[in-house]
Amino acid sequence: MRLVISLVLIFLCLTYSIAKKNKDEDFSEFDDFDHDEFDVETPTVTGATPLPSKTQVNKPEKNDNEEPVQTESSNTRNDEVTIDDDDDESMFDDEEFEASDTFASSSSSTPDLKIAEVPANLTGNRWEAYQCEAVMLIALLAYLINFLIGRTKNARLATIVYRSQRDLLDRNFSLVGDDGQTTNTQTDDQIKDMHKESDHLYILWCSGRASIESMLIELRLIKRQCAFNSVAAIIKSINDTIVYTIDFNKDDMETFVFCLAKKRSAAKLHRDMNDLSQFCVERKSADKKGLSSNYQILSEIGEASSAIIDSTKVADFTDKFPDALEYIYVSDQYTGMKSQNGEQQSSSPPPTTSGSAAQQQDALNASERSVRRVLIVAFNITAQNGRSLQVTSETIGSDYLRLVLHLIEFVSAFRFKSKELKNKAIKNRQRIEEQFLKSVNLQRQEQAQIRREDKRRAEKEKVMQSDDAELQRKWEEKEHKREMKRRTPKMKQMKMSFLTGTHRFLDPKCNEVLDLFYECIEKKSRAIGACDGLLAQLYRCKKEDLETHRKINKSESEQKRRDQAIARDPIIQKKLEILKRLQDKQKGESTSS
Amino acid sequence: MTDNRRPARIHRFRPSMITPTDDAIPDYMNLMGMMFSMCSLMLKIKWCAWIAVFAALVGFANSRTSDDAKQVLSSFMLSISAVVVTYMQNPAPMTIPFLQ
Repeated sequence: MRLVISLVLIFLCLTYSIAKKNKDEDFSEFDDFDHDEFDVETPTVTGATPLPSKTQVNKPEKNDNEEPVQTESSNTRNDEVTIDDDDDESMFDDEEFEASDTFASSSSSTPDLKIAEVPANLTGNRWEAYQCEAVMLIALLAYLINFLIGRTKNARLATIVYRSQRDLLDRNFSLVGDDGQTTNTQTDDQIKDMHKESDHLYILWCSGRASIESMLIELRLIKRQCAFNSVAAIIKSINDTIVYTIDFNKDDMETFVFCLAKKRSAAKLHRDMNDLSQFCVERKSADKKGLSSNYQILSEIGEASSAIIDSTKVADFTDKFPDALEYIYVSDQYTGMKSQNGEQQSSSPPPTTSGSAAQQQDALNASERSVRRVLIVAFNITAQNGRSLQVTSETIGSDYLRLVLHLIEFVSAFRFKSKELKNKAIKNRQRIEEQFLKSVNLQRQEQAQIRREDKRRAEKEKVMQSDDAELQRKWEEKEHKREMKRRTPKMKQMKMSFLTGTHRFLDPKCNEVLDLFYECIEKKSRAIGACDGLLAQLYRCKKEDLETHRKINKSESEQKRRDQAIARDPIIQKKLEILKRLQDKQKGESTSS
Repeated sequence: MTDNRRPARIHRFRPSMITPTDDAIPDYMNLMGMMFSMCSLMLKIKWCAWIAVFAALVGFANSRTSDDAKQVLSSFMLSISAVVVTYMQNPAPMTIPFLQ
């Protein structure tokens, strides 16, 4: 910062010195020009030039140096010429010197002199001419001074707010103030100030407490360091705000979405926040619950909203500090704002600020919404009871923090009394989850389609470039087939295993039906439902045919098995041999007898 | 009073936990500064150069601490060089077109 200011000053000095040098250079030629012009013509003129320049210095006018010099010198020249003429007339004849008379008369009339307008910066007090520049420089300096004052004011405010809450924070959290970069978190020294994220945003990270994971305190101040923003804040009546964002563990919080907010914030939150727009249908006025009509409630489950407002004594707080509470936002499905997420529904751990294709792909592949379980409480820091802002900030910090701790205790302890409410909550979440999965699926399909198209395009280019006619023809045929397949309406899948003319049934009647069916197909070109009757008959025929085939096969297979068994059995084989020998013997005996 | 502190449940801070705000003023101011500087250098218009200096200053005032200082500094340098060069080319005082 100081470096920048010093650099600015150096450049301004440089500008000034360069401008001065240029000015000197510019006027050196005019000085030479004066001498050159009047040295040759009359020697008296050179004597006359210092005089007019002196008068010029004494009487600042809009005339140039050289012009009055020229006019005066020409006047003196005229005077001298007339004097000379008088002398000449006595010496020469009139006839001889008509030309000289005419010359004298013409030279006596004053020539038309065009007095050029001299730029203001080259005459008189040169710096007075630079009025606009002076205005600009003053404006810049004023902005710079406002910047320094605003920044100091913001820093002081942050320190005051932190000091008012420091003790209470130390008693409730084992880690107060972490920038995420130091290796050792175990230090006994208290940190001196909140972490400065920018000149209008100060943060404090607290962790290490029962029933919560972490608490982030954000002090969002008016941009006092920028003059335009300060003016805008006055016009729009924006306040300094302090926002407590508490993250819960999955088991530490009941599943509900609730928001109690001032009217202007309620409308904005309902519109911008994903979970509020999905789970909370309408905004109700809070005056029925004992709060002022300035507040509105967005609630998924009515019991939760009543419980919060009654047991945490929010009404007492708003009575004591009217306009201090901006909103209380409890959600177990917090995914951030709609405008930042766009199509992907992921929240701030994994960062959402990227738009790169790879990260979007990862989000789609995850097919899971990363939700946070949060309690967000926002307060306005305004000057109260006629006291100044700084004086007010000294006392209110601890009051706000006490309400926040009270809310933390409530949210971590609250559980639904009836199972019905729990089931209702679960059903709502399932519905939203399904919607999310559907959208993810749709996106994946679209991406797959795009990839397929790209692949086909690449193939086509490759084929076209390859100059192989055969390949091109084949590819075109393939494409044509694909097109036809896409265009023909989807028909019933006919599970036919017959080939034309090859399959024959055992029953001749079935064969006739089969022939009729083939004729029907050829004629009616496979439109849906045209040959259904014949098809049904064919199925019956096939069934019967199968049965008969099975029976035949069964008997055949039984016979085969028996034969195999006999062949394998040695005793039966021997017996068969003996039987055979006996039969042969009998045959032999019968032929011999 | 029970002590609610749990050293075992400490989680480290991550910069992504800060609620993101869509504040585009520093970026717009940087862009404006660069555009007006170029304008003044090419077309030799003095008031463009002064507006560029202003834009650089406003951008600097609204910038975040985590932002790169080089960006802001380069914006400053460009606008100041635009002013210097424009005055070197034509040292006459600035005239605002619609006021004359």
